[in-house]
Amino acid sequence: MSIQTSMPIISMRHVDKHFGQLHVLRDINLDVAKGEVVVLIGPSGSGKSTLCRTINRLETIDSGEILFEGKPLPQEGKELAAMRAEIGMVFQSFNLFAHKTILDNVTMGPVEVLHRPRKEAEAEAMELLDRVGVAAQAHKVPAQLSGGQQQRVAIARSLAMHPKAMLFDEPTSALDPEMINEVLDVMVELAGMGMTMVVVTHEMNFARRVSNRVVFMADGQIVEQNTPDEFFDHPKSERAKDFLDSIKGH
Amino acid sequence: MSATVSMRDALYEAPGPKTRKRVLVGTAISLVLLALGIAFVIRQFYINDQLNPKYWSFFGRWTTWRFLLKGLWGTIKVAATAGVIAMALGLLLMLGRISPNKLLSSACHVITEIFRSLPSLLLIYFFFLVIPKYGIRMPSFWMITIPVSLAASGVLAEVFRAGVNAVPKGQVEAAMSLGMTHGKITRKIVLPQALKIVIPSLVSQLVVVVKDTTVAYVVSYPDLMQNARVLISNYDALVSMYFVVAIIYIAINYATNQFSVYLAHRMGTQVVSRMDENPV
Amino acid sequence: MGVSEVFAEFGDVYLQSLLSTWLMTAVCFAGGLALGILATVLRVSPIKPLRVAGDIYVQLFRNIPTVSLLVIFVYALPYLGLMLSYRTCLLACVILVVSSFASENFMSGINAIGAGQIEAARSIGLSFVQIIRLIVIPQSLRTTVLPMTNLLIATLLTTAMGSQVPLTPPELTGMVNYVNSRSVAGISAFVLSAICYAGTSVVIGFLGNKLDEKVRIVR
Repeated sequence: MSIQTSMPIISMRHVDKHFGQLHVLRDINLDVAKGEVVVLIGPSGSGKSTLCRTINRLETIDSGEILFEGKPLPQEGKELAAMRAEIGMVFQSFNLFAHKTILDNVTMGPVEVLHRPRKEAEAEAMELLDRVGVAAQAHKVPAQLSGGQQQRVAIARSLAMHPKAMLFDEPTSALDPEMINEVLDVMVELAGMGMTMVVVTHEMNFARRVSNRVVFMADGQIVEQNTPDEFFDHPKSERAKDFLDSIKGH
Repeated sequence: MSATVSMRDALYEAPGPKTRKRVLVGTAISLVLLALGIAFVIRQFYINDQLNPKYWSFFGRWTTWRFLLKGLWGTIKVAATAGVIAMALGLLLMLGRISPNKLLSSACHVITEIFRSLPSLLLIYFFFLVIPKYGIRMPSFWMITIPVSLAASGVLAEVFRAGVNAVPKGQVEAAMSLGMTHGKITRKIVLPQALKIVIPSLVSQLVVVVKDTTVAYVVSYPDLMQNARVLISNYDALVSMYFVVAIIYIAINYATNQFSVYLAHRMGTQVVSRMDENPV
Repeated sequence: MGVSEVFAEFGDVYLQSLLSTWLMTAVCFAGGLALGILATVLRVSPIKPLRVAGDIYVQLFRNIPTVSLLVIFVYALPYLGLMLSYRTCLLACVILVVSSFASENFMSGINAIGAGQIEAARSIGLSFVQIIRLIVIPQSLRTTVLPMTNLLIATLLTTAMGSQVPLTPPELTGMVNYVNSRSVAGISAFVLSAICYAGTSVVIGFLGNKLDEKVRIVR
């Protein structure tokens, strides 16, 4: 796997975090290479979402360090905002700006953060919306769209910033079953184009089909990580075996 | 995680070292400013001799409190009576408004809107100044209670209507498909649920009623404010008395509001149309 | 004496009274909004003492009966070295009370936004100031149109407290007293004032609803 040997774009070293008494991240060490697709799985409460959110400092950490492109995450101010502009994030609950049209949701970042001319930003936004299949809804507001459509807009909103990496925090968990695939399809396409992705998900098929590496977490720790085929066919730890058995039941 | 964080915390992220420093400095400066503000107020009291024990010592006497509590009892009597009348009237207005009878419905709508859009003081003047001119004599209790109830009934009608609207439509449709009449559906299905939903809002409307009663001195009814005025002329202690009375009112209304929030929380409902509160 | 005779005899004063009520309502509402914004800024600031001060401010003026505040302004403050005109006292009291309700409205507007949108805004690299300017202020303003409309109507009704102090010209509620003490036309004056209040409320309510339909955020 040549991809593993290049310099990591995201690097976590001995990361620890508590929520009050709860130790949610325990000595996390994780490197993500450029172009790699890493899927985080594990039982609920295992810390996978928290881990994902620490990468662009939506959650702070207690100790250890997180590097993005070899540099430590800025802690505040302009530097932090500039770093976030380079990392896309897609949330479980879409989080589109409720008072803006779909088009304005996508252009807000480029216009306000990257200071690109509105015309240009709109033209590109329309292309992106077309790519994720919601161009026809460009002038509606978020509440008029289905969950699947909203999530695809959220992805387009992230892409408009030309991110160097993208974080997906359970992007399909809030969707009705029939809408999950329309979102996953967009993500598959992104992965195919070489986007660096960290994906927290329960979609095992996606993990197996698309990811380069599966990271299994439990109780705030990375229990094991491996290529998807190895992980799903020959899990090494008891925790992972139990987890895979429990989801097979469904 | 984010769902449990209050919005005013969500506006800020966990501070970095610079931000932490700024917050610390801001906290120090604001504490100093607030202390200065409080010191200024105390100083104004002091240099104007308003801290003199002669203005405050009578609050240590039981007779003072007995008289104030008597006034408070008057306030409670008016507020409770007005609250009950307003509830009954508000409920009737709402029932009329949702009735299938077009004429009754629009009449109740208009009456609701009128009561909602008149200041309770104007209604008090009507009962205090206008009605007596036609030879109708009325005890002062009713001269304050009736107008306060009327003003509140308009708002309460709207609160009840919000409660009715909050009952899922599907239930009404289901009842209709069973062949129940409008009256029966309202009595058996809609009202019991709607009334439960609006309980916290009814409690919070009591605050408005209590506030409206404070002008009872206009009709010389001995409520808390009126008795305080009597004490002011007895003791010649205006500033201390008006401040103490204000604090009593604030405490009562604050407690009532907190109680309604507690009820809403416990019953899992919201305080509907809290924003309709008339601040008078 | 009917309404028309009252109007013939007191028409001028009535018109002045109506205009004065409108003006006081506008001034109090504008002042209340401005002070309400200030209180809200304190309440959402990251500085704890300011938050607490903002919360206390709102609870005090939300729960105090306007008359109780008015008597403090008119009768007590002169003993503490602050003498204000009757009209200033009235305006100040109504503004303080209105500002506490305005702040409550703004706070619910802010609460309606939800933490998720703020995180999303952060994640595309918007700064704190941009988030406030582009997300928080527009959304909270647009969701508070209806409550603010109700507050404007409530402000109009609260100016009736002006009848408790001598004002020239009297406002609409004081007019009933004014007319009543000069003629036998109390009921006509009551009806006229009631029409003015109700008419103004209807217009405000109508405009508020129109504006709300236009800017409401569908969630």
